Amino acid sequence: MSDSTPLLELENIGKFYGNIIALQGVTTEVRAGEVTCVLGDNGAGKSTFIKILAGVHTHDEGVFKLEGEEVGFNSPREALDRGIAAVYQDLAMVPLMSVWRNFFLGAEPTKGVFPVRWVDKPLAKGIAKEEMAKMGIDIRDTEQPVGTLSGGERQSVAIARAVYYGAKVLILDEPTSALGVKQSGVVLRYIVEAAKRGLGVIFITHNPAHAFPVGDRFLILNRGQSMGNFAKDEISQHELTRLMAGGAELEQLQHELEAAIASK
Amino acid sequence: MSESADTADAEAVEPQSSAEKALAASAAGGDERLAYRGVFQRLFVRPEIGAIVGAAAIWAFFWAVSREFGTAGGAASILDVSATLGIMAVAVSLLMIGGEFDLSSGAATGTFAIITILLVKDVGDLGGAGLSLWVAIPLSLIIALGLGWANGTMVERTALPSFIVTLATFFILRGFKLGFSKLMIDNLTVGRISEAEGRGYEFWEPIFAFVWVRNDHQLGIRDALYTIGVVGGLALVAFALAELSFVRREKLNSGGVPVLAAGVVGVVAGILFLHNSDGVGANTVGAVIIAVAGLAAFVGFGLWRFTPQAAGGVHIKDSLPMYLGGGVVLVLLGAICAVAFDVDSQESVLDLLGFLRWPIILAVGGGFAARAYLRNDSGHTNTLQAVINVASIGIATGFGAYAFMFMTTEQGLRSILFAVFVLAGLGLLGLAATQAGRASPATRGVVLAVTAIALAGLAFFIRDQSASEKFRSELFGVLLATALVVLVWGVISTMFERRTSDHEAADNLGSLVAKIGMGAIAVGMIAKMLFTTDDELAAGVARAQFRISILWFLGFTLFATWLLGRTKFGSWIFAVGGNKQAARQIGVPAARTKTQLFMIVAVAAWLVGLLLAFRLDTVQSVAGNGLEFEYIIAAVVGGTLLTGGYGSAFGASIGAIIMAMSKQGIPSARWNSDWRFAFLGLILLTAVIANNFIRTKAEASR
Amino acid sequence: MKKMRWLAVLLALVMVAAACGSDAAEETTGGDTGGDDDTEEVDVAQSGDLTFYMITHSDDGPFWSVLKRGAEAAAADVGVEMVWQGSNNDANVQAEFIDAAVAAGADGIGASLPNVDAVRPGLEAAVAAGIPVYTINSGVNDYVDLGATTHVGQTEIIAGEGSGLRFNDAGATKILCGRQEPDNGALIERCQGLANTFNGEVISEFMDLDADQTAQEAAINAALAADPDIDGFMGVGPVITMSGLRAADALGRDLTIGGFDITPELLDAIEAGDVMFTVDQQQYLQGYIPIILMYLEVTNSNTLGGGLPILTGPGFVTGDNASSVKALVEAGTR
Repeated sequence: MSDSTPLLELENIGKFYGNIIALQGVTTEVRAGEVTCVLGDNGAGKSTFIKILAGVHTHDEGVFKLEGEEVGFNSPREALDRGIAAVYQDLAMVPLMSVWRNFFLGAEPTKGVFPVRWVDKPLAKGIAKEEMAKMGIDIRDTEQPVGTLSGGERQSVAIARAVYYGAKVLILDEPTSALGVKQSGVVLRYIVEAAKRGLGVIFITHNPAHAFPVGDRFLILNRGQSMGNFAKDEISQHELTRLMAGGAELEQLQHELEAAIASK
Repeated sequence: MSESADTADAEAVEPQSSAEKALAASAAGGDERLAYRGVFQRLFVRPEIGAIVGAAAIWAFFWAVSREFGTAGGAASILDVSATLGIMAVAVSLLMIGGEFDLSSGAATGTFAIITILLVKDVGDLGGAGLSLWVAIPLSLIIALGLGWANGTMVERTALPSFIVTLATFFILRGFKLGFSKLMIDNLTVGRISEAEGRGYEFWEPIFAFVWVRNDHQLGIRDALYTIGVVGGLALVAFALAELSFVRREKLNSGGVPVLAAGVVGVVAGILFLHNSDGVGANTVGAVIIAVAGLAAFVGFGLWRFTPQAAGGVHIKDSLPMYLGGGVVLVLLGAICAVAFDVDSQESVLDLLGFLRWPIILAVGGGFAARAYLRNDSGHTNTLQAVINVASIGIATGFGAYAFMFMTTEQGLRSILFAVFVLAGLGLLGLAATQAGRASPATRGVVLAVTAIALAGLAFFIRDQSASEKFRSELFGVLLATALVVLVWGVISTMFERRTSDHEAADNLGSLVAKIGMGAIAVGMIAKMLFTTDDELAAGVARAQFRISILWFLGFTLFATWLLGRTKFGSWIFAVGGNKQAARQIGVPAARTKTQLFMIVAVAAWLVGLLLAFRLDTVQSVAGNGLEFEYIIAAVVGGTLLTGGYGSAFGASIGAIIMAMSKQGIPSARWNSDWRFAFLGLILLTAVIANNFIRTKAEASR
Repeated sequence: MKKMRWLAVLLALVMVAAACGSDAAEETTGGDTGGDDDTEEVDVAQSGDLTFYMITHSDDGPFWSVLKRGAEAAAADVGVEMVWQGSNNDANVQAEFIDAAVAAGADGIGASLPNVDAVRPGLEAAVAAGIPVYTINSGVNDYVDLGATTHVGQTEIIAGEGSGLRFNDAGATKILCGRQEPDNGALIERCQGLANTFNGEVISEFMDLDADQTAQEAAINAALAADPDIDGFMGVGPVITMSGLRAADALGRDLTIGGFDITPELLDAIEAGDVMFTVDQQQYLQGYIPIILMYLEVTNSNTLGGGLPILTGPGFVTGDNASSVKALVEAGTR
């Protein structure tokens, strides 16, 4: 796979808000069927990075290539049309609404002639169920409210929705941050599942333990700067953790904490 | 507010514990959150279930204490009030689901009535535009759309809470009604729409104000239609429930068919026997025939279609006899109360009790005070504080008891005691049944059989002892039927295997039959309401007048239910109310959706305004002012969430009927109307708490 | 959206056109309405050197406009100047008007007392300055205390008592006295007065608001259906009276119906014989009489009533005088 053109290629991407550097010198790539993990602590520039990819902001410097063609999106709609779908932390889900309605929200399949036009409910429910099944979740009753699903299952609904609407690149913003250990495992499985189906996945997280098992490529951000862009075989999980927290800083902190505990 | 807490709960589905469960379950090949939900579990997540149960309870309550409530006249009166209230409540519930309020909706109803009248009023002596109704009606509709659009646009553009924006519109409309009616006709009573005679009045009047007086419509077969509709419908619903709840046989067992056929023949024979015979003894025989044959029919049906349950021995838990015995005793105690106070007295209980009132007040107050004292024994270090606390509780409860006795007539007391005891008794029996069900199916069968016997005993006791004709005949029938249903359910649920998974064919058949059954019940009830019999006319029933506004109400409710449940727009309403940000992100035109909702409310107000104008001919400038809160209350009682994103149009219409019943019930029962608002408040509180309870329960059970 | 905006403009135009096409005539109803504060001088007698002030809580609605016409007519009849000052239910504004009138050297003041404490200092100052003070419309309980010469108005109890006698004559035995507000003391007093003189039983009950006539009618309907012995209905306002009539019609019951205040539709019902009477407090007199009394007190030291209030009601509009009252209503004096 690595010999084909990557879905996304980023070279020295940068973004400035006035004279504040939000992001600078970021280089990475995303290939179909692979998971690219973006790691960074709070304020590392992860959200700026997503917003550039998803078309909320345009980059101020560097090269952004989609399937080999240089692009710059002016709106999320444009990015979506080109097959880049972002699943945000708040999931864009309506918790009290049923699974199938959430799945098709804004693009409901309809029947009938104007002005008497209604949603093709059996079709919609069928598709929702089928797409969820492809993610490995058996939703028996698509009428149940999304709010009653667990966090992981809600993620899977969002992912399935993005996949169904023809996403080629899937950006997942901190999908595991609000979840417990085991539930995170479920979501990681969906991420692998999505990649297996030929999507390029960008998995944004601050947890190296979540990133390492599923990632094929790692981009580490710290204070808006790229701390490195590695393929899986180039880096260990420990090294990843160290880099992510700013390397030396974390070691310093570790020593201080140990000293504090010892002096008790 | 409890509602908002609820939403928050739903959004933050406790990650830790659920996560663990989910993974454990997914490892095992299935998540218990996604497990099969039985028919009752599915029913109970509907937002309108609480309202339907509440409506039935309130109806039964007032039916028991008033003469007119159960008659066609009473029903017409309730529906009359429900109609205009309901149209608005349904529209307002859509808006509330969309996350907004419209405080101008009440005043708007009167406004559109006045506008329409002023548009058609003769130019002559007093102000008016003298237009034809053919122009005035579309014109006022356009004005309505304009008002809704203005409300929606202002809310969206300013991003202010709709509470404030529409409060402003409310004042503007109120001023407009006063100002315009005084400016144009120097009067606060705006009349008359009938001045449009010759200008379309003849055409439009029946559309908005037609009245059917149903006393002239006799139907000899009415009671037969009613009986067949209701009994047959209930039987169909029961069959459907069995189909939805039990496991189908791989191969049908034809051995059950003769039993089923014999049972059905027996039931028909029993009904014919009842119909053609008279006297207490014959009635009892007829009832027993129907019961035995009905049971046989159901058992035969079950043997034919469903997989028998693996036998389980009777296993009795320690607490079971207590629940069982307690339940039976309470049911019978309720019966004794019903009979003991069975007089047609309107007197206040306070007067009837005489000097006995004081020991009761002292006992209640003292009892609660003592309880408070014992509870707080260790809690309070400050003696004074403890004394004040205990004393205030004692005084408050004592005063409460006094007020209760003061408010209640003897008739009211009878129904309250009856309802409390019987409901508590049935609750205990239900508890026993649940507990027994966990032990073994056979035990549950036994408990349900005991319950059925208690109910039947209650029925016969009341029939023999009660002085009131209504209690003797109608209550007897209802209780006996309930006993039969409980018995049948007990036996049949003991015999057959319960379903734990889907079965598409069975589900489809079950829901189809259930729908037919409910349709049959509806037909029976409507026939009962719309037609009179010779006997009734001879007995001099009150006149029943049905207004066309009821049809508008029905139509609007159906339209809104369809809109909400079956269209794109419906999804968008839920979305903008549930999570506007998310809806917008995903491409729902949130601003447009909300504006259209405001326009729907305005159109509903226009419709209600026309109904008012044609009905009253002259309209007061105060018409509708302040009613917006009634609309909101009806929507909330009907299960719509104040915070938006959840609710039902059908529920709101039931909420309106509940409001109408509680308004009508007090004058019907001839109780002191000064207490009406207290009663209304109580109903609202109960409804909201019950809705909340059902919703949390339903969501927790999954 | 663009289309909608266009429609709004069209609408505005239509409404303006409709407003211009109308010519306002006069009709009357009782009741309180909003309106602007107004102070206007009515110069009816150029030659007169006496100036009487009528300072009321008037909202300039139909009820008060009749009262004002009465005062204007009296001023013209005796040739004095009358200054009409309505405070639109704002007690502070009324108090200011009174202070100003005293300072301006009024020859007589007629004042209504919906809120006696606000206007007490001003009126006591007027009495101390020797200005004749008359209370009108409301204030029957306070005029003695203030030192006013007398009160011209109607009391709710007396109005109710008068109605009770009418129901006795009609042979009613059990009356439902329906109120359109749950907690308005004046309405409760009307029903109490009715019970004082009526020989049979009176049930005083709240029957929903005027704002919801559908529910009002249905509540009366329920009460009537539940008690077949009720053979009379008293509505303590014009709207609820009509609701009572509709409810009785719907049930096919023939009730003796009495009402309060005058509206065109109530007059029609009286003319048609569906409603027996309505109580009229004859507010024209509450404007006319005080001016005459002030004139006589100032010019001839006459006083009327011997310290007791002068009652302008209850006047009754029945089938006998309904048509003449109707004409007078259109003329603006009833």
